[in-house]
Amino acid sequence: MLDLIKAELLRFRVWAIAAALLHAATLGFFTRVVDPLQQPLFVYQVVASVYVVLGLLLGLHQIGGYRRPNTWLHLLHRPLPAARIALALATASGLLLTVVIALPLLLMLAMQAGFSARVVDTRHLWLPLAAGLLGCIGWLGGAYALLAPRRYSVLVFALPAVFLLGDASGIAAIGVQWLVLIWLLGLLVAAFKPDLSAPPRAGIAELATAVPVTLGIYLLALLASMGYQIIWIALGSHPLNSTPPAGGFIETSRMRGDALLQAGLLQSRDDSAEVWSEQVELSEVVSLIAEFDAFPKRDELTNPAPLEFDDDERRVRWIFSHDRMLFSGVNLADRKHAGVLGSGSAETPLLLPPLPLDGERVLTSNTLYAYDSELQQLNPRIALPPSETFAAPPAPLGAALLVLSDRALYFYDRRAFSERSDLQISRARLALPAPIGSLERIDLIELLDGHLVSLVYGRAGVDGPFDAWQTLWQLAADGSAHEIARRELKPDFPLALRHYGWWLSPALHSLRAQASQLFAQPDPMRAHEPVSRPVAIYTLAAALMLLALVVAIALSRRMPMSKAHQLVWCGACLIVGLPALLALWLLRPASGRAAAAGSA
Amino acid sequence: MSAVRTAVPTPVQAEAEWAIETRALSKRYGGKLALDALDLQIARGGIHAIVGANGAGKSTLFRVLLGFLPPTSGTAAILGCDSQRLKPSDRRRIGFVNEEHTLPGWMRVAALIAMQRRLYPLWSQAALDSVLGQFHVLPDQHVSELSRGERAGLNLALALAQRPDILVLDEPTLGLDVVAKRAFLEALMYSNEAAASTVIYCSHQMEEIERVADNLIILERGQLRNASAPDTFCARVSHWIAEFPFQPPPPANVPGLLQMQRLDGLNHYVVLDQSAEFAEFLRSAGARTVNCMAVSLDRAVNSFLAKNHAAPAAA
Repeated sequence: MLDLIKAELLRFRVWAIAAALLHAATLGFFTRVVDPLQQPLFVYQVVASVYVVLGLLLGLHQIGGYRRPNTWLHLLHRPLPAARIALALATASGLLLTVVIALPLLLMLAMQAGFSARVVDTRHLWLPLAAGLLGCIGWLGGAYALLAPRRYSVLVFALPAVFLLGDASGIAAIGVQWLVLIWLLGLLVAAFKPDLSAPPRAGIAELATAVPVTLGIYLLALLASMGYQIIWIALGSHPLNSTPPAGGFIETSRMRGDALLQAGLLQSRDDSAEVWSEQVELSEVVSLIAEFDAFPKRDELTNPAPLEFDDDERRVRWIFSHDRMLFSGVNLADRKHAGVLGSGSAETPLLLPPLPLDGERVLTSNTLYAYDSELQQLNPRIALPPSETFAAPPAPLGAALLVLSDRALYFYDRRAFSERSDLQISRARLALPAPIGSLERIDLIELLDGHLVSLVYGRAGVDGPFDAWQTLWQLAADGSAHEIARRELKPDFPLALRHYGWWLSPALHSLRAQASQLFAQPDPMRAHEPVSRPVAIYTLAAALMLLALVVAIALSRRMPMSKAHQLVWCGACLIVGLPALLALWLLRPASGRAAAAGSA
Repeated sequence: MSAVRTAVPTPVQAEAEWAIETRALSKRYGGKLALDALDLQIARGGIHAIVGANGAGKSTLFRVLLGFLPPTSGTAAILGCDSQRLKPSDRRRIGFVNEEHTLPGWMRVAALIAMQRRLYPLWSQAALDSVLGQFHVLPDQHVSELSRGERAGLNLALALAQRPDILVLDEPTLGLDVVAKRAFLEALMYSNEAAASTVIYCSHQMEEIERVADNLIILERGQLRNASAPDTFCARVSHWIAEFPFQPPPPANVPGLLQMQRLDGLNHYVVLDQSAEFAEFLRSAGARTVNCMAVSLDRAVNSFLAKNHAAPAAA
């Protein structure tokens, strides 16, 4: 086995060294131009994709060379278990990818830590490991795609697609990567056998293959619904691409603020509705949306946005350090260290990682700080209750400063906020009537004796399963609030399409959601109103599961498998539905079809 | 299809274990049968040549025997082991050399030899040196730098040095020049390791087979057509030349006809399993003169295989 590893290292050593040098040079160039550790999430995603593709290409090239019949025979016809040969190739490729991907990244971190005043945190030291793991996952995916039967091999890409795009962060994200890597390695070992056309033999191997294949079929089916919508758009009658249906969610989400308030007031039986309607016509309407998807999480590997801001007057760039929970200064003139920045004059470390809004304000998930350039300190100005999270940056409306959290809309004194530098207390609070993840927009005006607030719910429900409605509230000067109107918004899409992902397979719908949340902390911004499904949708889902069971019984009888095996597959088809049935058909082909595929 | 057993008695055969044994072995690719209910038993020891036209099922048979293809039906065993369940220890006993000589081109010869040596506990350095001595192969050379003939020699040397119980050679001399071919064959023929094992030799080169084979197995369209010593097979095929002043007998009436040609006014018949009575048949059909000639193995096999193939009407 060691010999095989050495042979593979020997085979690619020149290419690996060249690629590592190129990678190091590229990183070196970008390090001169930007701070690679302070980039927005999108940049990290692009770079991670490059590493995955690099691993994928190596896997395709390396295993593609072995995949030819005579070469495959020469590789496997030796007195070594096939699994050990597979592990030898995987180990060699892992080492090569470490040299090409991880080592240059480590070098870059060392250079940045040793020769610059930029921040290098402990969390950054995990980046080379994460990048190397992504490369290895790409390699395993490419190798498996070539070795497993073509009927289903590509479908296992569902595994990284579902798990790696989840919400886990920091060490937990690396845990997810290890899980995917070990899973793919297991699949590769199972596929690494003389007869490549044969399905996995062991029950555990078949289960490990069936899960991603079933998920892959499910994802393809979801993509097919997108294809359907693209055709619909091309035909010109798609609700998002033509005049939207009246009284629907799309029409409402596109309305001007004043029109939206007026539409809500039409449903109100309040005596003051007419007066408010006139005030809407005369007033400035402010619209808010929940802008923040995510705040930085402590010790996460990447950043949702660069954790830095510039003090242009003093020519200092403040970069946040997760290790110290303080901003660290870099003098823009000489690139030397320029002190630290914390909360108050004592430079107290912040409790949560912040998101710089601009050169004057810094926001953690529940505290807004103002930057004092003269004193070089951060002053806390607005503090939400500890369990709440900012959903949007503060916005002015008349004499008020509006602050939207995941639970409520707060009203602060705008003048006091701008003239003083202490912590502000809100004048009024309007509790949100539904979870923030469902909130599409808020529109409000200032009344003589309070505020008129419209909230539209149904976010992520344009073609999805969520209900949509508009609710109108009056916030009185004394801080009391009451609902004055509620307007149900009609769905713009057919019922079956809105619930498509669920009725296709309730089990996979749930599995996909759970997989994306694996090892992740719950994100308050994703909290949604529970979905209410009509009886027709439940009936459709049940009918499809039963259909899958009936066809599975008929199909499995013609397949060479034990009774217990049949029972397991039929049970899976009943629980999972049509995707499991298709997986059974792909994994357990009739012998003639397998032979034909084997000869390909 | 009736079972045909090879007729090469060796002392090892008494062990009642066949080197290769297939029972009703079929392999179907879509609508085409590559192996058609093949019953084949090959005794241990000796060199067994397997010949057949392209598509006769030779390579498919080897892939099934080595467990790289599943049979559609039937069973296949090599050295008494189910070919679909070969263990690493079974593979140690089976040497295989294919026509592409797929050795890792990026490795040096010495490193490749060292790797193989550690892999096979019965490694015979003497066998390797003996075979490799007939080829101009240097230890420091990369495998990719070797000529095709040198690569074939190295491949054979590696396979023999494993001291396999059975050595399968799938068209190993394909594409080699005359010198390399001769060196390869001599290395095989004079190797003690080859003599001690069962050699399955697949080739289209009849002169090679004539030189090395103890047993000739002919496959046609996935079926076994012959299994006997080459001389025995040659003796079954005879070449008759007859002069017909008038109309010769229609080919359909010629018994055992494999091939018929008309050259310079003379009719040439290559026939199977015909005795001196065939001369009487020709004379009774109007032949003025009749002569019988021996045929080479090449001619015999080619005629045998050409029998069921389409030929131009003028031939």
